[in-house]
Amino acid sequence: MRYLFLSLLMVLSLPLGSLAGYREEFEREFLSKPWAGEQVEEDACISCHVAEKMDPKFKNIPQSWKMSIHYQHNISCHHCHGGDPKDAEMSMSRARGFVGTPKYAEVPEFCGKCHVGILKNYLESGHGKALKSTGKGPNCVTCHGSHKDEQYIKKANIDIINERLCSKCHSYERAKIMKQALFLTEKKMGTLEESFKRLKAEGVYIEEEEKALFNIQAEFRTIFHTVDVSLVKERTDEFAKKLEPIEIKVKNTFHELWFRRNFSAFLMLLFAGMGLVVFVLSKPPRE
Amino acid sequence: MKRRKFLKVLLGLLGSATVVTFAYPLVKFLAPPEGESKTRKLVVKKSEIPIGEAKGFTYNNTPVIVINRPDKGFIALSKVCTHLGCLVTYERGKKILLCPCHAGVYDIEGNVVSGPPPKPLQKFPVRVEGENVVVG
Amino acid sequence: MGVGKKIRDWFEVRIGLDDFARVQFNEFRVPRNSNVFHTLGLVTVVAYLIQVITGILLLVYYTPHPDFAFKSVQEIMNTVSFGWLFRQMHVVGSSLMVIVVFLHMVSVFFMGGYKKPREMTWVMGGLMFLITLLFCLSGYLLPWTQLSYWATTVVTSFPTAFPLVGDFVSRVLRGGEYVTGITLGRFFALHVSILPPLFLFLMALHIFFVKRTGLSTPPFGLSSEQQSPWTEYRRETHPDGHPFYPYFVKKEIFMGMLYLTVMFFFVTFFPTLFLPEETNTPADPFRTPSQIRPEWYFLAPYQMLKLIPNKFIGITLQIILVAVFLLWPFLDTKKEPNILKRPILKTVFFLSLILLAVLTFWGHYR
Repeated sequence: MRYLFLSLLMVLSLPLGSLAGYREEFEREFLSKPWAGEQVEEDACISCHVAEKMDPKFKNIPQSWKMSIHYQHNISCHHCHGGDPKDAEMSMSRARGFVGTPKYAEVPEFCGKCHVGILKNYLESGHGKALKSTGKGPNCVTCHGSHKDEQYIKKANIDIINERLCSKCHSYERAKIMKQALFLTEKKMGTLEESFKRLKAEGVYIEEEEKALFNIQAEFRTIFHTVDVSLVKERTDEFAKKLEPIEIKVKNTFHELWFRRNFSAFLMLLFAGMGLVVFVLSKPPRE
Repeated sequence: MKRRKFLKVLLGLLGSATVVTFAYPLVKFLAPPEGESKTRKLVVKKSEIPIGEAKGFTYNNTPVIVINRPDKGFIALSKVCTHLGCLVTYERGKKILLCPCHAGVYDIEGNVVSGPPPKPLQKFPVRVEGENVVVG
Repeated sequence: MGVGKKIRDWFEVRIGLDDFARVQFNEFRVPRNSNVFHTLGLVTVVAYLIQVITGILLLVYYTPHPDFAFKSVQEIMNTVSFGWLFRQMHVVGSSLMVIVVFLHMVSVFFMGGYKKPREMTWVMGGLMFLITLLFCLSGYLLPWTQLSYWATTVVTSFPTAFPLVGDFVSRVLRGGEYVTGITLGRFFALHVSILPPLFLFLMALHIFFVKRTGLSTPPFGLSSEQQSPWTEYRRETHPDGHPFYPYFVKKEIFMGMLYLTVMFFFVTFFPTLFLPEETNTPADPFRTPSQIRPEWYFLAPYQMLKLIPNKFIGITLQIILVAVFLLWPFLDTKKEPNILKRPILKTVFFLSLILLAVLTFWGHYR
């Protein structure tokens, strides 16, 4: 009986196996792609810039981009440089908005296409005015880097203000005062970011708080770009205060997690206790 | 026998404690939420916002902007950009809402026109009652 | 007259409560050498009931639409009073239920409880195991997280390895080319309204068969002239066995408490064990996470498929294995009930368990 059944199974699977042979080519192609129906996008810019034939000057650009914060947020070549990433022929065409590498004095407008608020403050600042009037002065790349050589664009942080960078043109004094003014508030924001990470790891979804923090950070850092020492000093406390409601919320959330842990521990002990009692009761009485 | 009786009583106690410990959460879980958000409404005088203008307020701890659209009346939108959370600003000339962080652009209905925002701006119900505009 | 006695008398006159209780609880006996594994069936029922109750509670606040699903689950976790408690119970319970069902299956197999006349009980149990896995699969998509979405994409692409019907089956499962809100709708309907009554029905039949034939006797330590040939219906009454109440009922309550203790152990100390980072991120159809892995109970078949180069053969092999598993009582008709006396079967059995464990760990740490 069972032999018949097993042999029927084998026999029936043979013709299906032979059909599989016709799909061998499809399988090979299918196998090389991931299991999922993921939409893999062709990027003409990347495929040329990583090719063997490419000039070494441009070859490490994709690599540097992949380390950057832009890559982490799905910002690709054409978002800044224009051109058509889906069509190799038109990838660097002016008709598709390609702008190439911006000239030194045009870098702020290049980045300011997206970073609108910062551009405004920068243009009003001593740095911006210097660049526009003399053609010399720091532009965005000076402090934030680009994908030239070994650089890549990191997430903004307070240590971009440092002696080596700022004393290139003038004394470090003013920058130092500003950095000190920024320091405490930046520290608070860093602590909040850490708390967010911990909360996320514990399964709490904190989108609203993350957005609120981002907004405060963005506003705060935008002000810095005016490089107006007195303004920054004046407003740093204001921003520290804005962080307070978020800090309270975070504290409450940690407390809530503590409560949950204790509550379920209590239930666990109740069940363990009952199990123990039932176990002892189930033993025959010793008379 | 005394020990067995004790154990049975203990079991009863533990059992009742468990029932209560589940009953309380169950009741709270199924109970309707306290209608705290229902009581607070934002009331603004119509005259404060001329046609084509907009004004920012706080409603339910969220920054909102009330726009007096030229042809369609009042609309209340959350100012929080759906991308990363910066607050949008109203550009009267271009009739758009612009986010200064990454140039996200919304029209005055709150829909995304360009830029990184993934979703339209959150809308709040608005009613005109006599001289007032009521949000919520 | 106490109130309790009055109530009992009321029922006694109408349904013969005393007689019913006596037959079900006192006269129904368990074998002398029954062990704790015999309680696993009831533990499974307890696990299932917990899933149903917590599931219904979650249903009160959950919204099965891709734009709202994730948010509604977050609200359950963070806004609704004690919503976290019921969701955690449901999540932990789903994995624990798989373990319990599996242990129940393995112990029944080990003790030969599938043999004549209990073949149908085994088949129904096997079907219930598959339905449990379907429950897990369909439920996993509902929170609409990154992990849900992509794990479901992977699993619903398995049928494409079949010629002719593969693509069609895959499209029916997904409700289209990709996993979308339509997929969510069908999985939700499956999880909430199709599978539960099906499972209940099978469970009722399964329990009926168990009681009708009587509990099987573990074959260890007994002489092999146990069974006379089974040619006509009879019920194994175990006249020298223990009465169901209070002996076995106490054992079952103990195991139930143990199950709940283990569940709350996980909820207290490892609340994120079954909820990694990708389950706290809403589904994004345009961004595949670097590591897509199915839940732990699917790791072994998933790993096996990855190892076999031809996808079609891989899936067919798995289907054959499932068929063999379901219909095992019809394939194994040897009379010897004691597995320890059957070296080939014993070896195959233990090797399969080891292989399962190895594949699961491999799939996890890859």
